[in-house]
Amino acid sequence: MTLQLPDHRSQHWKDALPGLLEQEPSTAVELDCGDWNLNCTDLQQLLQILDGMGCRLRWLCSRRPKTVVSAAAMGLNVHPVEKMEQPSPRSEDQDGLLVHRGTLRSGDHLQCDGDVLIYGDVNPGARVSAGGDVMVWGRLRGTAHAGCFGSTKAKIVALHLRPVQLRISNAVARGPEDQPLDGLTEQARLDQGVIVIEPAETRSIR
Amino acid sequence: MSTTRTILICSGKGGVGKTTTTANLGISLARSGASTVVLDADFGLRNLDLLLGLENRIVYTAQEVLAETCRLEQALVKHKQEPNLSLLPAGNPRMLEWLTPKDMQAIVALLEERFDYVLIDCPAGIEDGFKNAAAAAREALVITTPEVAAVRDADRVIGLLNTQGISPVQLVLNRVRPKMMSSQEMLSVDDVTDILALPLLGLVFEDEQVIVSTNRGEPLTLSDGGSPAARAYSNIAGRLQGEDIPLMDPAKLRRGLRAKMRELMQTKIF
Ligand SMILES: Nc1ncnc2c1ncn2[C@@H]1O[C@H](COP(=O)(O)OP(=O)(O)OP(=O)(O)O)[C@@H](O)[C@H]1O
Ligand SMILES: [Mg+2]
Repeated sequence: MTLQLPDHRSQHWKDALPGLLEQEPSTAVELDCGDWNLNCTDLQQLLQILDGMGCRLRWLCSRRPKTVVSAAAMGLNVHPVEKMEQPSPRSEDQDGLLVHRGTLRSGDHLQCDGDVLIYGDVNPGARVSAGGDVMVWGRLRGTAHAGCFGSTKAKIVALHLRPVQLRISNAVARGPEDQPLDGLTEQARLDQGVIVIEPAETRSIR
Repeated sequence: MSTTRTILICSGKGGVGKTTTTANLGISLARSGASTVVLDADFGLRNLDLLLGLENRIVYTAQEVLAETCRLEQALVKHKQEPNLSLLPAGNPRMLEWLTPKDMQAIVALLEERFDYVLIDCPAGIEDGFKNAAAAAREALVITTPEVAAVRDADRVIGLLNTQGISPVQLVLNRVRPKMMSSQEMLSVDDVTDILALPLLGLVFEDEQVIVSTNRGEPLTLSDGGSPAARAYSNIAGRLQGEDIPLMDPAKLRRGLRAKMRELMQTKIF
């Protein structure tokens, strides 16, 4: 059976792959990479995980041209999948910026290595973690972690910033309890190891 | 493609009114002339048959139909007073392992050949029982109550329905208590729709007649009684069929009562 890497909202592919392989009886693996944009380094890591579990890759498929190109460049057996009807919540990774369209609902956990832009809400019970910044073009009412690999420069920006909990690098803060002013975009950043919330800077982050 | 509407009735959290909604909606749709079948996918704890008063008439389940030990007609239990409505239990409580998404698709395909509406009563939770029940659904009704935990679970379920391409997904808010809402002891309608961001198909008030009718095995919508919940369920059935019926507004309802009182006072009856 073809193994399917998880949706961006549920788990990072690196965390999911070992579990998928454990359930797979055959050692010759067919892998559907779905919407993940994988570069050569990613694919090398993927092959290492397979190798570590005594499996080899028969072929892989992907909806992302970038993944197909990288895989082909590495001499892997790869084929593209037709872009069928796109599910409404979907994510696209481009040069370290993951753009997620749609709302993250309770139980979702969107993870990415770089920055993330969510074009929708982050509901209570949903989580988002990014190696870089978290930007929410909507309401942030769940939990957000920016700089999850230790970056203290990372920021969390939202049109409406009322999270359950915020984390930046290793710092943790509970969200403010009062309602924000309408139309005031806020940001959270680290100031001497403490998370502070203030009106968002108008100059671009990068 | 068939024009049958196959609707999953689900909630995430248990005990919020899935089975009650399925039974009452089934009766209302059948009464309006649509041939309707309710499929009990919660066969571990099956009780849709109880609510419909059909428990003692079940002989076969979908399981025997798929195993070809009986025909579909033999397994379908027709409702006594509402012959447009049939019930099909997906399995029996001793067969917890049996149902797979493929089985579910096969049985629903058979039902879609002969019914206008297939309503699937989903088990609580988001595990295998839910996934099986959802496997054949085209649209969904998410039932929730105005409580934080119920809304949170509903949100989770909506996320899962979205990934399965089930659409439209609509919302029914059950066990609404206008008084508690207006005193802000309960989440308001806006609080709930603000988070879930789904079209609201109906509001059902907390109504003790629901419990009475449950125990009697006669869904509220069966008798013509005008209890608030009975009206709410038939309105939901109407909206599902494309009728334009305005939503009840809990605040207005309360104002309405007070206004009536004031009128009575002015006519010096009191
Ligand atoms: N509007 C209402 N007013 C009063 N009581 C209600 C209402 N709706 C449901 N109930 C009661 O709540 C209880 C649970 O309802 P029901 O069995 O329909 O929920 P369910 O979601 O199917 O539960 P489960 O998850 O266990 O399958 C029942 O006792 C029912 O009578
Ligand atoms: Mg039930």
